[in-house]
Amino acid sequence: MSASAASSTNATTGSAMIADLWTWRILKWVVAICVAIVAVFPIWWMINVVFADPGVPVSINPRLYPTSLHSGLSKIYTILAETEYLRAYFITIAYALLTILGVLFIGSMAAFEFALFEFPGKRVLFGMVMLSLMVPTVVTIIPTYLLVAELGWLNSMQGLVVPGLASAFGLFMLVQFMRSLPMEMIEAARLDGASHFKIYWYIALPLSKNAMVTLAILTFMRTWGNFAWPLIVAPKPEVYTVGQVVGLFNAPYSHQTVDVVMTANLLAVVPPLIFFLIFQRKIVEGIAMSGTKG
Amino acid sequence: MNPTRHLPHYAMILPFAVLFAAFFLYPIVSGFYYSFHDWNAATAPRFVGLANYQSVLSSRDFARAMTNLFNYIVITVPLGIAVAFGLALLVDSFTGAWANFFRSVFFLPVVLPAFLAATIWRWMYAPNFGLVNMVLGWFGVASVNFLNDTGKMLYALIAVDIWVSAGFNMVILLAGLKNIPQDLYEAARLDGASRINQVRYITIPMLSPVLFFVITYGFISALQVFDVPWLLTGSSFTAYGGRRSALLFPVMDMMGRAFGSVHFGEATAYGFILTAIIILVTAAMFALRRWRTPK
Amino acid sequence: MADLEIKSVSKSFGSVEVLKDINLKINSGEFVVFVGPSGCGKSTLLRMITGLEAETSGDILIDGKRVNGVDPARRGTAMVFQSYALYPHMTVAENMGFGLKMAGETKAAIRDKVEQAAATLRLEKLLERRPGQLSGGQKQRVAIGRAIVRNPKVFLFDEPLSNLDAELRVQMRAELIELHRRLGTTMIFVTHDQVEAMTLADRIVVMNAGVVQQYGRPLDLYDDPDNRFVGGFIGSPKMNFLEASVAEATPDHVVLDKIAGSDRSLRLPFSGFDRSIKQVAIGIRPEHVSLGAGAADEIPLAVSFAEELGDVTYVHGKLPAGSPVTIRSDKTRYGGKESGNMALDPSGIRLFDPDGRRLRGNGS
Repeated sequence: MSASAASSTNATTGSAMIADLWTWRILKWVVAICVAIVAVFPIWWMINVVFADPGVPVSINPRLYPTSLHSGLSKIYTILAETEYLRAYFITIAYALLTILGVLFIGSMAAFEFALFEFPGKRVLFGMVMLSLMVPTVVTIIPTYLLVAELGWLNSMQGLVVPGLASAFGLFMLVQFMRSLPMEMIEAARLDGASHFKIYWYIALPLSKNAMVTLAILTFMRTWGNFAWPLIVAPKPEVYTVGQVVGLFNAPYSHQTVDVVMTANLLAVVPPLIFFLIFQRKIVEGIAMSGTKG
Repeated sequence: MNPTRHLPHYAMILPFAVLFAAFFLYPIVSGFYYSFHDWNAATAPRFVGLANYQSVLSSRDFARAMTNLFNYIVITVPLGIAVAFGLALLVDSFTGAWANFFRSVFFLPVVLPAFLAATIWRWMYAPNFGLVNMVLGWFGVASVNFLNDTGKMLYALIAVDIWVSAGFNMVILLAGLKNIPQDLYEAARLDGASRINQVRYITIPMLSPVLFFVITYGFISALQVFDVPWLLTGSSFTAYGGRRSALLFPVMDMMGRAFGSVHFGEATAYGFILTAIIILVTAAMFALRRWRTPK
Repeated sequence: MADLEIKSVSKSFGSVEVLKDINLKINSGEFVVFVGPSGCGKSTLLRMITGLEAETSGDILIDGKRVNGVDPARRGTAMVFQSYALYPHMTVAENMGFGLKMAGETKAAIRDKVEQAAATLRLEKLLERRPGQLSGGQKQRVAIGRAIVRNPKVFLFDEPLSNLDAELRVQMRAELIELHRRLGTTMIFVTHDQVEAMTLADRIVVMNAGVVQQYGRPLDLYDDPDNRFVGGFIGSPKMNFLEASVAEATPDHVVLDKIAGSDRSLRLPFSGFDRSIKQVAIGIRPEHVSLGAGAADEIPLAVSFAEELGDVTYVHGKLPAGSPVTIRSDKTRYGGKESGNMALDPSGIRLFDPDGRRLRGNGS
């Protein structure tokens, strides 16, 4: 294309290009806002349902925005005070925290070894654990349940927590991170007389804080939202987790009205939401990283 | 060579190794064992050879579940990824604070526990006064019974599914998008490629490893779908799968056989059958990639 | 301070032999430098002394006591790593005190020792900083401080100056010499830079391919190399090597001809030349070669280029056989000649046999 032809084409398509640019701009904003509405509205709706007077029918108040603070608060209070919800909350928080502690501690100890040292059987062991990432949970969930039952751990905290502690994903993430720790630093610690465990405790662990926090958050999200496992391992109502309680409210025979159900939901969403609002960057980056490396 | 010098290493990995062996390796082995036995936890297991596998494969529920699964997967995986990809492109077209804002907003549904999404949507789908039907009512469309009309239930499920998971895939694809060097796009623009062509000839090929991961992972989790259909239909172990088993899926079926009718042998066999299917699909994905890669 | 003995030490990684039968005796208080090209095994040897690697065979003795298999922290050695290996999440004081903390010392004792070491290295003002806030030279000193604090019997340095820029390196060299003078501890220093070796060492160990080539005082290595490798490794610019044939060997002299492909010959006093040797390499340093006026025994050369540095000129040329030569001239400037002759100062001539071994003769 000769220079003059190019410039004349540019001149004539210049205005077309500008129009094109503006169409794209407007379009993308419109689409983005629509998607944002779709993404957020269900949650917004849930809030509105909770904070609305149940007596007012939907035809008058379509629940597009919160209308009654008092009604919502009284529902929340009722659920917390008169049902087992609060207990389920505590159980789930304990479940999540214990799982996080266990996964982080056990995983980081093992990751320390796999990332930095050689010993007989290391490759085989690590290979097996990595392979397990590819094994779908379907094949283990029932036999694991049977094992837990055999151990007498049904309806107990250890039954909920312990089977999930050997997290292959957690190990993978921590190993990736710890590999970047300089070997000379570990050797310096050895020369400083630190025992193996002390090197882990004083050097590797503090330096892995970032990865550990991300893992903790991801573990929390996974645990809080875990439905199938508590369903089968903790079927006794006394040890229900939040997920199960919500499921209870949700069941057709519970004869609960929608606003009560939504209140239960709302309470259940608070911790993950808070975590998300504070840590969103870490969560998003953690997931993005596992995807591009996996 | 001092053999005990490896001791500290083994000591550190011991907790993980023990737990891994106990709660992963052992269940696989014991599950395999039980799959050849008839067992209801009350009496002793009775060896039945391949009977469990046969009865699962020939059962009507299995056929129904697999049909549902197939219909579900062929729509939800491609559609879900297309939506996620579109969202990723959309977010990528913004910069700075707005990009972060939209990324977080689109990601929000992922953060919710699945049971939450399912229960909210269950009520949003309610006939007549559920939000969705209300909105349809504004446009003059008659109320649709999303969760009881067997023809519509699958689509209702897929919609929830995509709502929940699109953000997750979007985030991964977005990271992949950021890794594509800008100069490729500039060169293409100079070559006269329209935006659509740029996406077609640059974005998608450069993104293919990430796409592969997302698609494969998408298949693997779709094949194991459980939480959302269970809650959308308000299932329990005595009655599950929704009206006429329209939302009966393999994992649900398996769980039902374990905790509903208490046939643990059958249930574990079911698990292995499903695993075999998943492995086949994954292997097919890898083979497909190998076949397509030397371009 | 302690002396160090390395007895018949060998090391293999799988089937690769990295160190072959090393024997060295280092005296208490000496500053010894291990020098050699990459892969010669010097770092491996250092790591075996400190215990980070185990020897495949042989013994290492510190202060007369066998330390094979003894835990690295208990050998009485301390090491400064090439990358300093400071703990980024700890302050300078914590970095220096870590070893003492591991040894179970009281907080007060740790603080005292750290402050003492910090004073020695002028680090007092930096004690509360983190490594990320320090310059390269400061990090270097903290790494040294961490080693000093433990009062080791042997100090080990693994290429600690390689990461510093040239000017800083010179400065740190001076500081290390000063440190050695003050502490008097046995120090072993690994480097690939022969200039560092020459300036710092009381004695140098030159290594190549897992074998000790020569062990001795810097100037002895310079003036009297045991083999061609040492001759070519020590000294910059490198020693020139001229191939020559042995024309005649008598009990008191030897005549070499076809020097570097020319038709010149040279007669050298040499008592007891081994008659079975037919080819030699003449090693001669640039300062013992000069551009001559054209006398009969001078060797013709074609000049490639000259480096005129002001106080000294290096003329690089090619000899008839194609081998390169460097001539150093202090007084005369080069003047743009394209070819010329070079004269050899006989006192600078070192002879090497075809295997690289130095030919010394009896009493020469």
